[in-house]
Parts: sequence; structure tokens; C-alpha cells
Amino acid sequence: MKVIKFQHRSCFKWLLRGCSLPLPPKTGSEYYTRPNVVQTEMDEQGCPRCKTTKYRNPSLKLMVNVCGHTLCENCVEMLFVRGSSNCVQCDTPLRKSNFRVQLFEDPTVDKEVEIRKKVLKIYNKRDFDFPSLREYNDYLEQVEDIVYNLTNNVDVENTKLRMEQYQRENRDVIQRNKAKLTREQEELEELLLQEQQSNEQRRLEVLQEEQRQLQAKRKNKQALLDELEQSQLPATLLLAQHKVRAAQLETQIEQQKQAVKPTSLFSTGIHMRQTVSLQPVTKIEDVLYHYRPLQVETYGPPVPELEQLGRLGYLNHVRAAVTQDTAGGYTSGLACYRAIQDAFSGLFPLRG
Amino acid sequence: MKLNIEGLLVYFPYDYIYPEQYSYMLELKRTLDAKGHGVLEMPSGTGKTISLLSLIVAYQRAFPLEVTKLIYCSRTVPEIEKVVEELRKLMEFYTKETGESNNFLALALSSRKNLCIHPEILHANIVVYSYHYLLDPKIADLVSKELAKKSVVVFDEAHNIDNVCIDSMSVNITRRTLDRCQTNVDTLQNTIHKIKETDAAKLREEYRRLVEGLKEANVARETDIYLANPVLPDEILQEAVPGSIRTAEHFVGFMRRFLEYLKSRLRVQHVVQESAPQFLKDIFEKVCIDRKPLRFCAERLQSLLRTLEIADIADFSAVTLISNFATLVSTYSQGFTIIIEPFEDRTPTIANPVLHFSCMDPSIAIKPVFQRFQSVVITSGTLSPLDIYPRILDFRPVTMASFTMTLARTCLCPLIVGRGNDQVALSSKFETREDFAVIRNYGNLLLEMSAIVPDGIVAFFTSYVYMENIVASWYEQGILENIQRNKLIFIETQDAAETSMALEKYQEACENGRGAILLSVARGKVSEGIDFVHHYGRAVIMFGVPYVYTQSRILKARLEYLRDQFQIRENDFLTFDAMRHAAQCVGRAIRGKTDYGLMIFADKRYARADKRGKLPRWIQEHINDGSLNLTVDEAVQLSKHFLRQMAQPFRQEDQLGLSLLTLEQLESEEMLQKITQIAHQT
Repeated sequence: MKVIKFQHRSCFKWLLRGCSLPLPPKTGSEYYTRPNVVQTEMDEQGCPRCKTTKYRNPSLKLMVNVCGHTLCENCVEMLFVRGSSNCVQCDTPLRKSNFRVQLFEDPTVDKEVEIRKKVLKIYNKRDFDFPSLREYNDYLEQVEDIVYNLTNNVDVENTKLRMEQYQRENRDVIQRNKAKLTREQEELEELLLQEQQSNEQRRLEVLQEEQRQLQAKRKNKQALLDELEQSQLPATLLLAQHKVRAAQLETQIEQQKQAVKPTSLFSTGIHMRQTVSLQPVTKIEDVLYHYRPLQVETYGPPVPELEQLGRLGYLNHVRAAVTQDTAGGYTSGLACYRAIQDAFSGLFPLRG
Repeated sequence: MKLNIEGLLVYFPYDYIYPEQYSYMLELKRTLDAKGHGVLEMPSGTGKTISLLSLIVAYQRAFPLEVTKLIYCSRTVPEIEKVVEELRKLMEFYTKETGESNNFLALALSSRKNLCIHPEILHANIVVYSYHYLLDPKIADLVSKELAKKSVVVFDEAHNIDNVCIDSMSVNITRRTLDRCQTNVDTLQNTIHKIKETDAAKLREEYRRLVEGLKEANVARETDIYLANPVLPDEILQEAVPGSIRTAEHFVGFMRRFLEYLKSRLRVQHVVQESAPQFLKDIFEKVCIDRKPLRFCAERLQSLLRTLEIADIADFSAVTLISNFATLVSTYSQGFTIIIEPFEDRTPTIANPVLHFSCMDPSIAIKPVFQRFQSVVITSGTLSPLDIYPRILDFRPVTMASFTMTLARTCLCPLIVGRGNDQVALSSKFETREDFAVIRNYGNLLLEMSAIVPDGIVAFFTSYVYMENIVASWYEQGILENIQRNKLIFIETQDAAETSMALEKYQEACENGRGAILLSVARGKVSEGIDFVHHYGRAVIMFGVPYVYTQSRILKARLEYLRDQFQIRENDFLTFDAMRHAAQCVGRAIRGKTDYGLMIFADKRYARADKRGKLPRWIQEHINDGSLNLTVDEAVQLSKHFLRQMAQPFRQEDQLGLSLLTLEQLESEEMLQKITQIAHQT
């Protein structure tokens, strides 16, 4: 059944009129005219010689040569029967084999890209060929200058000379870099590869899943045939059983399709439903450490201080330190002090 | 009244408070204490705005070092005005209570004409503006760049925030954009030419700066003065502009090549979809443009525009758009897709090529916000299911809570009408779109409702096309005529002027007493920003489930991305999206506790648990088994009963102590106990 649609615009008009509402004036129908604008601009392109435009001949093919001037395919065929001739607009000698299909609306861009590709073949140094980024950037700017000059016909002769000179000087580097991609291009290639792989992976998974389902169904069918062959039960019952099983299988498959790996992680790797306690962390309140000088009970008479050993004459009884010993910080006082501590401690008997 | 929220003194400019407001403030305070992000859902009309404002202002006063600024983002200008009004009330209350004139500076930014930039913002304590000022990289750079780290950001009415994020990062390029861009580039070239003759030093100075690199911006970013801009990736700041686009002429030539390339890409015969790396590879092969200069494109253009001292930036919107596109496409290898369509689906004969560079990951746009500010609060009346927002926006909330409305009387009545009187299943699903029986039953439902509901009825359809079809059919069947015996009918159209006129007249008709019916569209202007308080909307009828148009390639790409990256099933997301819009639509009718309204879901699919479960909790609570899968007749019976009850006088005293509290009532032990149960943690 199809609703026969009557003019809905007027339907609203009617509705609003029913409520005695004046319709606001319609503002601009630009939405509908816009595509036409696009059309005309694209159609305006044409061959400067025979004046054919895209609008009159939709299959018109525009060609462009090194000078950046356009000609249509037919004119090219006609003018360049002998393989070479001069440009209609700028009189540059051209070869027929150098004509390319014009890719861009602005033929100078075609020309520039052509030149750029040529220049880049020679100027193919990479960022690692330079000691610093700054120099690399200067080099890039130089390349840009050359392309600019060649495209806009500024100082062409000199620029060409410069290029040739550069080519002679850097032959090795150019040769070496020919096959190398820039680092960024490598990265891009890698990304593309990754993308391709993950797509392939997904496709394979889907395929495998389908295969598995198909197999399960086939098995189910085979089981029914087997049962019909061997079982004693009436066929209708078996068929009913089979139907139930098939339905179960179907729902199972449906469920599997629905089930995407459940996840308990946010994409940041944090667990969902992780409860965060809002209690402030309990502060462990301890008494501050207070230094007390060490009291050692020696159970003996008081030992003379380290500084006093020399004055009291104890040092006379130990071997004096030779120069080799003192290098490590040894003094004879240390050994003497220890010996005295040893001798003095534990001389008093324990009380009680 | 003065409240004590876990030890914080909060001035609340009203004499009474709703229990859920108290609970809301509790959760909010905990979020601020933890310096984390929060997702809070509270029904509209229960005073979210004032709760938010009074708590955060109190917090700011109590801990001026912890929270220095409140950034309040809302969606539309009327909503911003509402916030400012509430804020004014709060400030008056402060002055009255404390006796001192307050030293708070609040600032509202609404439209471009009263756009004011940063010296004030830097000092204001409260800034109220639209989402775009924070999320849209182009505007955020102008306005929000220097906001302090210790700010609290609130996104109100944030149920649509993911779409705002996506829109702010997506670029659509038509042939027209490119033509305008072409003119821009020509103008640039001419200006450069002129300046070279008159004031070459200026260009040289710029050139010198570029050779040095973008150090300034880098220092700013590292010292964390600025909000990061997703269009200005970190790597760029650490490097100098590549030599190939350093001088102005070279850059213009570069733009020209890029432009011509885009033009050639738009000349397609069939739809092309590709990823960013594929695009970059192709652009290198065709016009020898590397990835690196593309990355610097946006920044380089800004620099050039500044140097040329071009006053009217708006004229250069096209070239800015293209340069932003260049930077984005070369920066993000994931999360974006490029779709080139030669014509619109509806008009395949008219060539109208569009290049959609569409963002599929809302977290890219909002990431700087979450990273920069210590607390970001996302709140709205309809955020269910709560856990999907942290997933699609990729952040980790410390609080997620949904609050219900405490009611002294059940003032909302959701009904799910699944069948007509002739037992035909009602549904807007594709197969039954043009089924006469369904359309007739829908008409019948509206007719019956128009007879029993007083004052205004708002009806929502799933799309403009669907509405047009149905209304045309109703007209033929004479249903419209019958409805018009009861109420006047008004229609929302795609024309904004027409719609606002219809809306105005609808309200006028409601004032007159007999009431009116407004036919509108979910996701339209009416469903998003317009409230139907009291008699402006006594019933909302939702015809069908407002699924988004699923055949669009952009949506398909986004769904695929969600599945692969976030493990969200297509169906889940579509249902979630449909239900949040349905909830938005029906929520239009209830804007407070004294208000009442019917909510009629006219589609049998609403009865299913997966749909019903995605409605906000405050609506779900009132759906019982008796209101599922009703016929039109049954729904009418229930509505009559409900409306009769609601028509009884309802005074403030009836509410007091139940859903409206004085300070003493609030502080009673029993009430505090109850309040802890309002918040539903997920």
C-alpha cells in the first residue's frame, strides 16, 4: 500500500491558514541553485584553440604540456601529426609525447607538479643527510625556490645551471637515495599495512564464523537423516525435534553475532566499575623522632677521650702509623683507642 | 537558607529545598573534593542549575586556592540567560546574608556581537558560555586558551555532548567552499605582492620568526599556560616550520596545489571512502605534498594572516577551514574517515560533490578539557545509561550518579501504547512506514487525546519526511478535520522562521484556553531547546522510535569505529541514541514538581526491556506493567483517570516535608537517611 502523497508544502500552507497564520516570505532557494553553479563552473573549461567546452562535449579530454598550456585531444592530434610543434599560446617547441591528460582545473598546477617531480628526482636528500634540522629546512626552501623559478619562468637558465651543478656534485647521494622512502612515507606505509591487516583479519573472522555456522547446520541435517534411518520413533516426532534444534541453533548463531567481546576496560586501560574511595587517606600520626645521645655502659673505669691519648702517653705503646697507612685515613690513635676500650670494659663485677 | 554540606557552608537562595538537590550537592562536593570528573543525571525542573551554582560558589569561597574558577557551559542562549538569572539571585542572597558587597565577578559570553576576550575572563570567578567556546578548537583558541588549571568545568544539558565534539572536529568541503577558498588564496597572493612592494620588512620579520620555530607557543604549552588545541599537535611546537612553506609565496603555492588536488578529488562519479593514511599517500603521489608541511598548514596560515594584518578574518573562513582540514588529516591517522560523495542520496541526478572529513571519536575534541581541568562535571536531565558517556568520551569519572525526582504526587504518567483499537501493532519501523492501518491508528490516538487532554499537546515524529507523509495521509482520511474540531494544529518545519512563528502562535492558542497541538520532529529545534511548562504541554506523544538515519555512510563509519575501538555494539549505540532523544522529547512537558504531564510512547518497541531500560531512571520508575503495550482505548482510560487526579488543587503545603523541605525538615535524621538513597550510584 502506498500513501498517495499530495503536495505537502501546500498542506502546511493550508494548515497554517486554518489557524489564520500568514506564511513568512520564503527566503532564498539557494539550496536548489547551488548544484547548478557547480555545474557551470566545471563546464566552463574548454580548449583555447577550437573553443569546445566540457558542456558541449562531455567527453572532451584536455591535455597539457610542459609549458602549462591547455589543448584538447583532437587539437593535439591535428597539430602534432609530425610529433613536434610549437605551443599555440607561447610558441615553446613541444613534443607530442610530452602531452599529459590535464588533472587539475588550473593547468599551471599540472605544469608545476610535472616540474616538481623532475626536480625532486634530483634533489632527493633526506633529513638524515643533514647535521641539523635547520639546514634541512634551508635545503627544502632552496628546492622550493627552484621549482618556483622554473614554473614561473624566472631566471630559468641560471636555475637549470644550478640544478646541473648540484646533480654533478651530489651524484652519489642521489643514487643512494633513489630507492629510499622518506621516514614519513615509511610511517605511512606502515599505517596502511596495519589497516590492511586489520581489515583482512576482520574479513577472515567473519568468513570463519560463517563456515562454522554452515558446518553446524549441515551436521544437524545429517543427524536428522541418521536418526530417521535408525531410530524407532515416529518420523513426525523426529522432525519436530529437529525443528526445535534448528531453531535453537539459529538463536545461538544470532546471539553470537550480537555478542561483541564484552569489555571491562575503558580504552585507557582502566577497569570499569572501579570504585574510587572518597575517604581521605588516613594520616598516620606518630611522635616525631627525637635524638638522644647514646649511652654505653662499659662496666669499667672511664676510658680517656680519643684526643687525649697522645697527651697521656698511651700512643707511645703502639706502632706509629707509616705513610702508607695514613693514606686510607688510619691513625695510630684509632687502634690505640680501641685497644684501651677493650682493656677497660667489663672490669667491674656485675652488681647484684 | 544556609546549608551544611559535609562541613561546607552553602548559601542557598531559596527558603525551601528539594531533597534531591541536597543529594546532588553532596555528590558534587565529593567530586570536587576528589579533584576528579563526574557524571550526574538529575531530572529537569528539579533545580540543577541553582544547586550547581550555589555549591561551587560556596566551595570557591571556602577553598579559594583549590578552585579558582567556575566555567559553566550550556547549550543555547536562552539556557545561558537562565543560568545568569539564577546566578544573580544567588549573588543577591550572598550580599543580603553576609552584608558585604561580594567581590565575585561573573561573565557571560553569548553571541558574537558581545564577544569579549580575555583580560576579563582571566579575572572572572565564574564564566558562563556555550560549549563551542571550549570544544571547538577554532573558538577555544581565542577564548578559552588561558583559563586556569584549577577551574571546575560544568557541561549542562550535556546529553548531546558527543555530537557537539564530533561536529567541532569534522570538516565538510563542498565545491563552493573550494571556490571561496580559491578567491581567498588569490587575495592572499595579491596582498603579499602589495606588501612586498611597500613593506617587505614585515614579511622578512615573519620569515625570521618561522626559521626560529614556534618557540613561543611551545614554551606556553610546556609551562601549561594554555589549553591544548587538538588542531595544534604537540610535535609541531617542538619543531620549526618546514622549509618548503616558510616563505609566503611558497606557502601560497602550496595551498594552491592542495586546493587543486581537492578539486580533482571532488570530481568523482561514485562514493569513495578512505582513511587518512590512504589520503596522504595519494596526495603525495599526485601533487608531491608531504605529510609534514600539511601538519603545519593551520599554524602557518594563522601566522601569515597575522603578518598581513588582515582585519576581516571572517572572509577567510574557507581557507582557514581547508588548512584546518590539512592539519587534522595529517595529524590523526585514526579516528577520522574521509567520505567523498558525488551527490546527495535523495537527489542522485544533481551533481553536488561533498568531501566529508568526519570525526568518529568524540574524545579527541574533549581530551584537552579533561586533561587540563581538575574537575569536569557532565550533567543533564537525560544521561541514561550513565556508563556509556565515560566510554565514548574516554575519561574516568570518580562519581557517576542518577537522581530521581521525589514527588508528593505522581505527576508524570508514561504510557506505552503498542496497539491500536483494532489490535494492529503500532510501530514506525521501516516496513510499516506506509501502512495505512498504522497511520490511521496514530491519527486515532491523537484524535482521542485531543478530546480529553486540556490545553497543549506536543506530538513528536521521527523525521520530517515521516511527519509529512503521515500528516498528508491524515488529511486525506479526514482525521485532521476531526482533530481540528478539538484543537488547533501547528507544525514545525525545517525553516527556523516558520517554526518560531508556529511556536508563538501555539502558545497564544494555549493561553486562550482551548488548547492546541504542535506537531514537531525529534532532534528538531523544538525537541532540543524549548520547554512546555504547565498548560503549554499537558501531554507529549512520541510517534515511533527516533532512530537516526542509519543509511548515512558517516554514521556507518562511526558505528564501525565504536565497535572496533570502544567495544560498543552498533545496536546498543543506535538504541541509546534513539532513547536519549525520545527522553529529551517527552521530558519537555515536565519542568518542575508542580507541573504535570502525560508521556505517551506510541510504538510497541518501547515495551521491550532493552529500550525501556535506557530511559532515565526518573521516567522508568513510573512505568509499571500496567502501562506497557496498551491499546489506544486503554491509554485513553488511564489518561482520563490521571488527568482528573492532577486537576485537583495542589498547594505548597502538600509538598512540604515530602518533596520540598525547610531547613529543619532537612536536618531531621530520618530525612537525611532517605536522602542518601536518592542518589543511584552506578
